[in-house]
Amino acid sequence: MSSDFAAPAYIRFYSRSSKLIAEFFEYSINTILYQRGVYPAEDFTAVKKYGLNILVSCDDQVKAYIKKIMSQLNKWMIGGKISKLIVVITSKETGEHVERWQFDVQILCKTAKTKLGRGSTDKENHTSGEVEPPPEKSEKQIQDEIQAIFRQITASVTFLPMLDGNCTFNVLVYADADSEVPMEWGDSDAKEIKNGEKVQLRSFSTSNHRVDTLVSYRYADRSTTTRSP
Amino acid sequence: MPLTPSPRTRTASIASNAPSSTSPFTPPRQSGETMRAASQTYGGNLSSLFSRSTSRQHSHRDSPKSNIAHPTNSPRRLELGVSDWALTGTGSSAGPTPSKLKQRRDGTLRSRPAKTTIRTGDRFIPNRQASEAIMVAGMGKPDADKQRPKTSGSGSGEGSAVLANAANAFDFHGAGDEAAAALQGLSLDDDDNPSKYTRTSPNTLAYQSSLASACGVSLNTRILAFKPAPPEQTKPIDLRSQYNRPLKPASATSAQFRRRVLSAPERVLDAPGLVDDYYLNLLDWSSGNQVAIGLERSVYVWSAESGTVNCLLETSPDTYVSSVKWSGDGAYVGVGLGTGEVQIWDVEEGTKLRSMHGHDSRVGVMGWSKHLLSTGSRSGLVFNHDVRIAQHKVAELVSHQSEVCGLEWRSDGAQLATGGNDNLVCIWDARSLTSPKYTKTNHRAAVKALSWCPWQLNLLATGGGSYDRHIHFWNSTTGARTNSIDTGSQVTSLRWSTHYREIVSSSGFPDNSLSIWSYPTLVRNVEIPAHETRVLHSCLSPDGQMLATAAADESLKFWKLFEKKPGTSSAVREGSISSKGGDMIKQMTIR
Repeated sequence: MSSDFAAPAYIRFYSRSSKLIAEFFEYSINTILYQRGVYPAEDFTAVKKYGLNILVSCDDQVKAYIKKIMSQLNKWMIGGKISKLIVVITSKETGEHVERWQFDVQILCKTAKTKLGRGSTDKENHTSGEVEPPPEKSEKQIQDEIQAIFRQITASVTFLPMLDGNCTFNVLVYADADSEVPMEWGDSDAKEIKNGEKVQLRSFSTSNHRVDTLVSYRYADRSTTTRSP
Repeated sequence: MPLTPSPRTRTASIASNAPSSTSPFTPPRQSGETMRAASQTYGGNLSSLFSRSTSRQHSHRDSPKSNIAHPTNSPRRLELGVSDWALTGTGSSAGPTPSKLKQRRDGTLRSRPAKTTIRTGDRFIPNRQASEAIMVAGMGKPDADKQRPKTSGSGSGEGSAVLANAANAFDFHGAGDEAAAALQGLSLDDDDNPSKYTRTSPNTLAYQSSLASACGVSLNTRILAFKPAPPEQTKPIDLRSQYNRPLKPASATSAQFRRRVLSAPERVLDAPGLVDDYYLNLLDWSSGNQVAIGLERSVYVWSAESGTVNCLLETSPDTYVSSVKWSGDGAYVGVGLGTGEVQIWDVEEGTKLRSMHGHDSRVGVMGWSKHLLSTGSRSGLVFNHDVRIAQHKVAELVSHQSEVCGLEWRSDGAQLATGGNDNLVCIWDARSLTSPKYTKTNHRAAVKALSWCPWQLNLLATGGGSYDRHIHFWNSTTGARTNSIDTGSQVTSLRWSTHYREIVSSSGFPDNSLSIWSYPTLVRNVEIPAHETRVLHSCLSPDGQMLATAAADESLKFWKLFEKKPGTSSAVREGSISSKGGDMIKQMTIR
């Protein structure tokens, strides 16, 4: 099959793409923490990235926390184990999930190692067994797409409900069942938002991945409280 | 398992099942077997069938499904392996076919392609029962054997046949009695009764999987959370202020403050004997660039230009200096005493010009407006003295109930602000002094710090004491409070910069610091730890660049807080504070 000789290149692109996605997650988490006021604005400094000024935390504890998440995320990404990354913002007072940022990761062309073992029934029915890789995108195009997402995240504060500032956050991933899971990670529910509104934001894709962004948030306090028994 | 003996079919069926089961149920059985036979034919269909079968459908449907699970597999295998089976199996196509209802009927039609499947149709009925049994495992085979014959007859999926099959199946299985009974009772409908399921660990698995699929969750993924709690935020956040922040807040403030503020004092002088009393006002800097300070019973004048010090006066031993204030032209200094007496001294000559009596308690604060000297006393009374005439007392301002400790004339002399130990701020109109124009009760502690804004005449800043800690900003025309700052410590004095849109406050416990605030943003640009004990008094140099502070640590410090950038004209009109200032700015130094 053609993939035989193409594989090395794929793998190379693949891991590069994974890194790019992981990096995107890192900046997304920081941006969300800043924009949604999970941590005070003074704790953030602007860095140039994707042609934007992106605010990243300069608080040592927060930095270390995100770094821990990212190091594991990197491994999973490269292994192609992750299908979703989710940042949930939770009210400290009520423990209610008030906002949920979801990044869906789609692996566009599954090369060699990633997922042959499972979900294979369909696959094997396709004789070719592989999807045409989309035409290669330039770095610039990818960066522009990512930039657009960050602009949207920033702009979303205009329609997202006010948070009272007393919030905390959690990071969830949807990982393959066969993933290696370190001690610090544990099974969780999806932390969905009850009666949440959803807004689909932009997407971007690399040669190997496609990332869709979705934010859901608790809408109209009163109606939810009256509805809930 | 009991059933196990039946060799081929069963094994085959099981194997087949496994593959089919792959989707939802599979997990337990899947192992390796399924791979070979199943892949092509069954693929997704079986799985879907199974999933449905688990729950509810009618006998027909169920049977096929259930059948599919066991027998179907077998047939497939059979197909692969042996042609003989074809006879029995012909109907089987149903098994593979996705639609359950059709299966039996179709079965005949389809029988050609998949012979084995036919049985499945038959089997299905028993299978349900069996399904329970299936759990156990072996049962399938015996059923299969008998079924086949029956199946041929029943192939159409008639109820009777089904029942019969079922019965047969049960017999063999042994497990099936209940199920058989149930089936009969139900006739075609089957049975999804819970009773049947009881044993099934596999069923539960199936249930889980179907549930999972219903919820849109794949069993193949786990939701993982990063368990450690995120670090606490250091302080509560008001998002509203965050939304309005410039993108780069740090640089914004620093840009505003590009001018560096020296955090070290320019000069430190000893001020031995300085009375540690918040209610007194013992420091003032004249327009002639001389600093007067009251130290216990003496008033000293320090010339900033020459650095020389003169003792201007010493009071009688029974009293002490409670306030000093330079006249606007810098020629005279008013001195208030603990007895309530007010003296006016000519500094150049070093002589006392006159004494003015009237207060019966100490005069803690004074203010000049041209020839008018206002004095506030411990009694809460404020007198206006016209220093030119013998009957000096020209007005009595009655409002405060307690010691007056803050008093400032507006630069144009049209309004007077006073603050007292009764926590009141009074704003007086110079033309009508019988009652204050406004009385403000917002402060919760004594108000000593008062300052009129040099660039906006009707803006007054007032600062409260230990229990208040706030700076309030007032529009003296409307009486409205326009802004407030919580400084976090006692506010002992306030001075507006004449060059920058800033105000400096001095504070007591716990910081003993000087803070420079931008106005109207109220951003604290800098905080300088100034003294070891609370800062009691402050005053600006006539050129507006330097601040002198006196503190209970008996030192007098000079701070270059508002250094002028060379070449920039002062942002604020200078006239009010330094009448002679124009020339002086360049040459003024302190020695």
